[in-house]
Amino acid sequence: MAYRIVELELSRPLSEIVLAPGEEGVALVARFEDELVGFAMVPQPAGSVLGAPDVTRLADRRFAAAVLQARTEKALGARWPDQRAPGAPSLTIAICTRDRAPRLRRLLASLDAVRPGSPFAGLDILVVDNAPSDDSTREAAAAFEGVRYVREPRAGLDFARNTALANATGEWLAFLDDDVVVDRGYLHGLYRAVRSTPDAGGCSGLVLPFRLETDAQVHFEKNGGFGRGFARTEFRAERHGNGLHPVGAGIVGAGCNMAFERRLLLELGGFDEALDTGAPLPGGGDLDIFYRVLRSGRAIVYEPTYAVYHEHRETLPQLKRQYWSWGLGFMAFLVKSWRADRPLRGRQAAMVWWWVLDRLGAIVRAGLKGRRRELSFAFAEFAGGVQGLAGEYDRSLARVRAIRSAAR
Amino acid sequence: MKDERWTIRHIDLADGPRVLDADGAPCLLVYWWRGLPLGARALRAAELPYRRAQMTADAVRLAADQVAARRSLRIAGYDGQPRACLTVAEALEADGLLETLDRLAAEPAPSAERLSVVICTRGRPEMLRACLDSLARQAAPPGQIVVVDNAADGGAAPVCAGRAGVSYVHEPRPGLSIARNAGIAAARGEFVAFTDDDVELPANWTAEIVRALAGSGAEAVTGLVLPARLETSAQRAFELDLGGFTSRHFPLRFDRSFLEETRRVGPQVWRIGAGANMAFRRTVFARFGGFDERLGAGASGCSEDSEYWYRILHGGGVCLYEPRAVVFHHHRGDWPGLRSQYRAYMKGHVAALVVQADRYGDRGNIRRMFRQLPAYFTRTAATSIQNTAWWRLRLLASEVLGWAEGLQYLLRPGWRARGQVGEVAEPGAAAPEAVRHA
Repeated sequence: MAYRIVELELSRPLSEIVLAPGEEGVALVARFEDELVGFAMVPQPAGSVLGAPDVTRLADRRFAAAVLQARTEKALGARWPDQRAPGAPSLTIAICTRDRAPRLRRLLASLDAVRPGSPFAGLDILVVDNAPSDDSTREAAAAFEGVRYVREPRAGLDFARNTALANATGEWLAFLDDDVVVDRGYLHGLYRAVRSTPDAGGCSGLVLPFRLETDAQVHFEKNGGFGRGFARTEFRAERHGNGLHPVGAGIVGAGCNMAFERRLLLELGGFDEALDTGAPLPGGGDLDIFYRVLRSGRAIVYEPTYAVYHEHRETLPQLKRQYWSWGLGFMAFLVKSWRADRPLRGRQAAMVWWWVLDRLGAIVRAGLKGRRRELSFAFAEFAGGVQGLAGEYDRSLARVRAIRSAAR
Repeated sequence: MKDERWTIRHIDLADGPRVLDADGAPCLLVYWWRGLPLGARALRAAELPYRRAQMTADAVRLAADQVAARRSLRIAGYDGQPRACLTVAEALEADGLLETLDRLAAEPAPSAERLSVVICTRGRPEMLRACLDSLARQAAPPGQIVVVDNAADGGAAPVCAGRAGVSYVHEPRPGLSIARNAGIAAARGEFVAFTDDDVELPANWTAEIVRALAGSGAEAVTGLVLPARLETSAQRAFELDLGGFTSRHFPLRFDRSFLEETRRVGPQVWRIGAGANMAFRRTVFARFGGFDERLGAGASGCSEDSEYWYRILHGGGVCLYEPRAVVFHHHRGDWPGLRSQYRAYMKGHVAALVVQADRYGDRGNIRRMFRQLPAYFTRTAATSIQNTAWWRLRLLASEVLGWAEGLQYLLRPGWRARGQVGEVAEPGAAAPEAVRHA
């Protein structure tokens, strides 16, 4: 199963969409005057032809309100002059990668396209090569101008992120995973987020699908993907209507597209190297840093125009493993937070309770409806969670200690 | 549910966004465009100060929604939500977006000479006094104010004495529907508005009610109910967690199609509004009679208002929800009070379902009693347990109790046979003897 990803510019007349025989829907990426304003997945008969009136009808239902909002924003902007202080910060973009030179090249090429219009006072790009098996990453980075290369021999994403932190020079530090490419509004979106909020300690952005060409990719995106919507949102240590916030840190964003004030990261002591370690515990590091930033009293700004496109897992086994890793990473993060942040233990325990019931509910629903694929994903996530609660964080701490002493 | 002091903060977005620190105390932020309510947002202490960028993002969303709703009146679907009708082309072509709001806010207030305001009260002289004071401050004074005293001892009489334009009616037979019918009988205006003694009215309320009724052709108008205070955890639970009385900030038209969409499963007429802020053309009472005296506070518990809207919609009439007509309501402050309120709501709701089914043969009302309501109880119990919201479970127990009590009406043929509704005097008829001009 595949979906055609189509970009619509709503300020101009829309044209027809012709689906290939294997394509069973369209994923509409909507822009208004070049700014991202909406995304929708619409199933269609495979190989069908959507005439311009059909496309217009689809857009009317989903994006008309967004267009009116974008125009209202401009009208309000004309009435309310910008009161932000002058002066732009500098930015370091860090890409932590391991043995994926083709994807790194793709990402660096997309960054090359947006660099010339950068609103930041300074911009440098840092590639952190994490325990590589060959020189391909170094060669890929060298092919681009103005890209610094650092090698981190200790395997683990949060080792690499901390190396990026130690080597960054910008006042702000943005992280990108190697399986994304940036949207053309990426830098301006991040700049807008950073400048909008004087006490922002971090920013998170929209993650759209890069390709929807396999069952796994379509399934993942249909079930929410990494999408966090098109409403600019500020997260702080509390949130009305969400009594467990900020323990459910996943609502803030995703680790493949996040940025922080560098000085704040240093004050917080960087990333927890026992989370996001790769194979044994591949997750939780982003949740942990979002949580700690919010708990420090600083805000995280979610800005939808600060956007990237993520290459989702291609095969169903890979996707199943990803669900498992979410359960594992989330529960390992909760175990860690239970120890590190005693005042919020009530919320952390309530979150475990909520999550267990939520996932059991998902298993029962998938079972009752006879959806085998969803059932296997739900089981995988639940199993990951149980493993995460059953001492995985401690095992990871031991592994990380061993890696550190071996590297010494 | 901790007891911490909450405040209510009003922000006029026509003056631009600002930083709100609210002295660091949690608050309900209510957004306006001059007299036009745009929306509300609750903020906890750690979410303060609320910054310009956040307020701007709220303003964009709320102003755009308001403009869309004001350009062409939207029709409510079964869930009380508007059916989307805006197209991209219209959104591109719409001009003068903010000017639409400016124009609405600057419209001159019509006279309220033809409006009678009916307030039913029972043993709450202090609240009644505040309510009457707020009525005395109306920019467009109503032609008539009728206070119906539903207490046996007539304790409201001294509060009304000496107030210009206030008629005092003593209706000792208990029941809100009976009291409201007495108010209708005493009302002389072309339009009749109802509010409660636990409500305070902003100065433009009468004008907005008249504007909505005169300008729309609707038989009934309802408006927005904002909380007057959020001082206790029970008040906050009612307003912020349970949704309060009404929380829509855009106008909405309820007509026959709203009724038809869910006739099979029980039309959700309570979504139209709240009895604390409603008005009618005087002529509807001649056509549909008065409020059903089996329903409402003092009888079955509540829903005499929504049952009336049901009748109007059934007769092909239109109900208009117009949030510009705002009232501030004092919610119940204590938990036992809130629980008994919810018990009465559910009991009265089931009674109204019986009445609606009997009057029009709409079986969907019975279906709602035995299918949707138990499903709602189950769902609420599950989410309350998942969210460890034990207060919600206790409240749910009161609702289930009220539901069980309401079912008795199904088994009371005598009660069900009393299908007639209170006779109401024709407009312009002589005031009944009970009326005494204060």
